[in-house]
Amino acid sequence: MPHVFQQPPLKASRELYEGKDPTATVYIMESSGGMVAGDRNDITVKLAPNSSVRLVQQSALKIYPSHTGDTCVQTINVELGEQARLEWMPEVIIPFVDAKFRADTTLRIASDATILWGEIVAPGREKRGEIFNYQSFHTNFKIFVEDELIAFDSLHFSPKEAALSDIGVLEDAMYIGSIWLVSPKAVDVDVRAIQETLRVDAGLKSGMTRLEGNAIHCRWLAVDQWTMQEDMKRVYALLAANV
Amino acid sequence: MKQLKDDSNNHSNTADTLTDLALLRLIQIHDSAFPIGSFTQTYGMETYIQEDVIRTKEDLVAYCTSFLFQNLVRGDAILIQEAYAAAQEQDIERLLYLEQLCGAIKLAKESREASVKLGRQFIKTVSPLGTDGFLTDWKARIDSKEIKGHYAILYGIYSATTGVSAHHAVMTYLFASLNGLVQNAVRAVPFGQTTGVQATYELIGQVTEAAKLVATLTETDISNNALGIELASMKHEYLFSRLFIS
Repeated sequence: MPHVFQQPPLKASRELYEGKDPTATVYIMESSGGMVAGDRNDITVKLAPNSSVRLVQQSALKIYPSHTGDTCVQTINVELGEQARLEWMPEVIIPFVDAKFRADTTLRIASDATILWGEIVAPGREKRGEIFNYQSFHTNFKIFVEDELIAFDSLHFSPKEAALSDIGVLEDAMYIGSIWLVSPKAVDVDVRAIQETLRVDAGLKSGMTRLEGNAIHCRWLAVDQWTMQEDMKRVYALLAANV
Repeated sequence: MKQLKDDSNNHSNTADTLTDLALLRLIQIHDSAFPIGSFTQTYGMETYIQEDVIRTKEDLVAYCTSFLFQNLVRGDAILIQEAYAAAQEQDIERLLYLEQLCGAIKLAKESREASVKLGRQFIKTVSPLGTDGFLTDWKARIDSKEIKGHYAILYGIYSATTGVSAHHAVMTYLFASLNGLVQNAVRAVPFGQTTGVQATYELIGQVTEAAKLVATLTETDISNNALGIELASMKHEYLFSRLFIS
């Protein structure tokens, strides 16, 4: 890692290597325990051409109640140079009761770079009965390949204003899982074959589709977090092995 | 004179005024016989029908209401409104950006392709009718493969060049989209024609409410909370047998 700039509570570990694998594994740590009332996290990641990185979040991202009414904001900007490769499988985002959260994530990648990105959103602290009790949860996720916007996923949830359990919205699901893959090798991935292996359980729905260009998207809607995460990890590993 | 100026700034006196010519043009392009293929698309609804989730008129109205408020209003409708404004300013850069955005928000491949199919059929059908030069230039960009030609953007441009108000353009688009879904549900579930007519009639109030809501929204409000519908659209591609393209 030639350049690291960090300010508490965010911290990046030094790069770690497993055996002869040239992939640098870097842990992103958040020492405060969570975001509260207007906190702001800015994460910028730039990968030089031909570099290979695996980013791992150390723990779930907790968004505490917004007693001041201010919104917590997380901004993640990622740039990948030519033939760079990045894997990011973050932990769960948990918006507590009365939390207000906004996240803007932008991935800008070279046409021959590879990115495998995952995210999981919880309804709150489910085991404490905190289910969709937050104020607002707005996320904007964009992928640009050589300046062309190929995917824009935007969720604007305000559960107290509009029920998420309606048909066509989340229905009985509480957890949302997403995986995004952009790679010149994505064209060789047999989407139909993977789609057929997706777990079909009560309370678990999933789908897979090709995006514009060499990109694939998978989505899960689930009642149970662990069943979903298990299937996500399986598909994530399968895609990682394919590209 | 002051009164006249105030009136010209009043939404209800300007945006809602529809000339006879503009009204008939809108009716024509939204007619089921207008050959753009909207009656071959369900944008994922067929998956719900095959999974036996839409069985009654009430189910259908509830489904269409979610599609209206959680998808169309915060997606295509905002884009139509923005494309309409950009076309009035002849702002090509803005329209090119909106065109890209329109494709990017449609994550499910079939829904994205449906948007392009309808767009291309639409421009092909309206072009020989002697449309305005700005729309002709936009068609040239599609022909040269510079852009895909998403329907919502083309529809916004067309509306701006034919004297239709943005409000009516959005409202009739929303109505036609739901009407198309209801007609397809009548065939696929199946329902009787009367049930379809009743469902559409019940949705009309929501369409007018939705159109008013769109007027208060901008690009920053673009979102898609209808994840169930989006997932159904992804799964539609792999259904064993299908009546509809999407």
